[in-house]
Amino acid sequence: MRAPSRPHQANPNLGAYYGIFTSAFVCLVILLAMFEQLGWQETWLARSMMLAPLVLYLAIALYTRTLDVEEFFASGRRVPPVYNGAVLAAALVGGTGFFAYTGTLFFLGFDALAIGLAWTTGLLVSGLLFVPYLRKAGAYTLPAFLGHRFRSRSLRAMASLLQLPPAAFLLAAEIKIAALISVMFLPVSYQLAVAAVAAMIAWVTIVGGMRSLTWTATAQFIVSAVGFAVPLIIVTVLFTNVPAPQLTYGEMFEPLKRSESIVGISPTAPGELATALPAAQPKPSIKPFLQAFGALSQTDFLTLFLCLTLGTAALPSLLARSGVTSSVADQRRSVAWAAFFVALFAISAPALATFVRHLMFQDIAQAPASALPAWFNDLSAHRLIVTQDANADGAIEASELFVARDGIALALPMAARLPFVCTALMAAAGIAVALAAASSHLFTIAGSLADDFIRPIDPRNEVLPRIVVAWVAIAATALSAGVFLALADIDVLQAAVTALAFAAATFFPTLLLAIWWKRCTWLGAMLALGVGVAAMAAALAFGGTPVADQFRLTTVIAALMGAALGLIAGLIGSVIGPKPSPAQLAYFEELGDPGGDALYDRALRRAAAAASQ
Amino acid sequence: MSEQPGRDRHRWQTLLLVVATLIIALGAIAAAVIFAGRLDEIIFLRFPLGFYLLAQGLLIGLVALAFWSTRVQEHIDRRLSEGEEL
Repeated sequence: MRAPSRPHQANPNLGAYYGIFTSAFVCLVILLAMFEQLGWQETWLARSMMLAPLVLYLAIALYTRTLDVEEFFASGRRVPPVYNGAVLAAALVGGTGFFAYTGTLFFLGFDALAIGLAWTTGLLVSGLLFVPYLRKAGAYTLPAFLGHRFRSRSLRAMASLLQLPPAAFLLAAEIKIAALISVMFLPVSYQLAVAAVAAMIAWVTIVGGMRSLTWTATAQFIVSAVGFAVPLIIVTVLFTNVPAPQLTYGEMFEPLKRSESIVGISPTAPGELATALPAAQPKPSIKPFLQAFGALSQTDFLTLFLCLTLGTAALPSLLARSGVTSSVADQRRSVAWAAFFVALFAISAPALATFVRHLMFQDIAQAPASALPAWFNDLSAHRLIVTQDANADGAIEASELFVARDGIALALPMAARLPFVCTALMAAAGIAVALAAASSHLFTIAGSLADDFIRPIDPRNEVLPRIVVAWVAIAATALSAGVFLALADIDVLQAAVTALAFAAATFFPTLLLAIWWKRCTWLGAMLALGVGVAAMAAALAFGGTPVADQFRLTTVIAALMGAALGLIAGLIGSVIGPKPSPAQLAYFEELGDPGGDALYDRALRRAAAAASQ
Repeated sequence: MSEQPGRDRHRWQTLLLVVATLIIALGAIAAAVIFAGRLDEIIFLRFPLGFYLLAQGLLIGLVALAFWSTRVQEHIDRRLSEGEEL
């Protein structure tokens, strides 16, 4: 067995590499903008904008391939905090946040702010409560940490199975959103796009595991940041003359209120939490943007916020990255950077929604139904909006304008009449962040299946090497996700909310007890996980299922109940069961020491020394 | 009495920092949500204040809190390692 004794030093040229990558991507955008002015067709512009970055991602993955176990599962424990923060942010927001959150902001305005706020708060909570201790433990997966903490293989296997639902929902959502956007701009069918996306993320994770995932996702983060910021800043300059959308979109509120009034939008009363979030199908926007608690009541706002906060804090796909930096302090810093990047997106997204809303309602308020601007036709061609003058009064009202939730980000450059290259850039950005998130979720599932579920059967790797098992698990997981999406339909936003609710109900109480309570035992952890699963199962069985049109937000309430009851069950189980062993107590004490090597690395070194004697 | 007073002090200081940070963050968010309607009557940088806080102000505060708590925790950790080296 190899002892991971080498120093964990980051590559000093990373800044230069990503500087070159960013410059190359910006050059591509400028080049395509020039080609558009020279008369290039939109289809070729879209293909170039989307496929060129894909080639770069594949090249980065190939360049960072590895067969080293520590590199494969923990990226060599030498990822600098800023880079890890960027990948964490991309994995959390993903294509679902990029497209569905901006769409939810368009429909719900003020009330949707609970989601962005919960992401940032969840990262803060995670950085305080869990991440530094998981870094100290150094286990390659979250279930492995629980297995080491309680010296229990059964708990490790159970945790591995239970992290499947949240990671699988998110994986399916990210593949679907990437495929949907690809279909709009590339000459491929939906099934082929799903297969291509699944193959792409499988390739990235197979060649280098966490290592290639990290460096590819960093490049995807850069593409998504550039692609989101450039069209938004151009639109902001057009409207306010200041290239800072976060500071200036407040200027649009007065004209927006006037347009909303003209097209017949008036204050609404909050509905049920279960049906408050908009579905993906085109629907009219009827709530004023700035109205507080017009779709969600104040209590529902706080309930949704709390559920998503706990879910973000305990999301296995994020916690799986807790061992990739060189120290406990670096891991803490990386979560703070992740909170910064997520907050930057969450602060900017309402600006995008405000501009799209203003442009749409201003145009339908001013133009007759028979002479709508050309961009309405462009969006209609992509099935992102549908207009019908139902009352035949010659004007389109808000209730007659059906807008697709996931098309709002793409609608901004179209509605602002920017060159087509900006629309393609926004699409490429959304696909990039969806790929980054999908790769993270795929590796979380497959890495855990390989290391926590299959490896205990062959602990000395006599049948198959450890990495080969991981390759098989990655390929099987990607294939399963592709087949599932070819057969079933899911709503990406609802799947993401369910995933976070599941993580909140199961892993939040378990990790809280395992990390912060010395007396917590195997039985307590099992009960905490079990009660959380039972609460979520009850919600899905009796309150709705996580598929389109049948989803009920009662899962949000069930998640909070599951977390609270799981905490109580964990406390009771630990108190009434056998006391923790001296080895468990020693492990707990070591977790609180921020210095020194990771406990797992130390154990590997001891095992290697014992084997060599 | 513990055999490792330095470790105990480190653990309590860490816990205090975590609790204080969480109370500040969650308290501010709860207050902003509860008083959002009234705060919206005040205009700040052309934004209704309740909207501004939930869309930007609190997020900026949370990020600042994350970096601040990281810094303080590093200070606490450094004191532990210095105490153990003596």
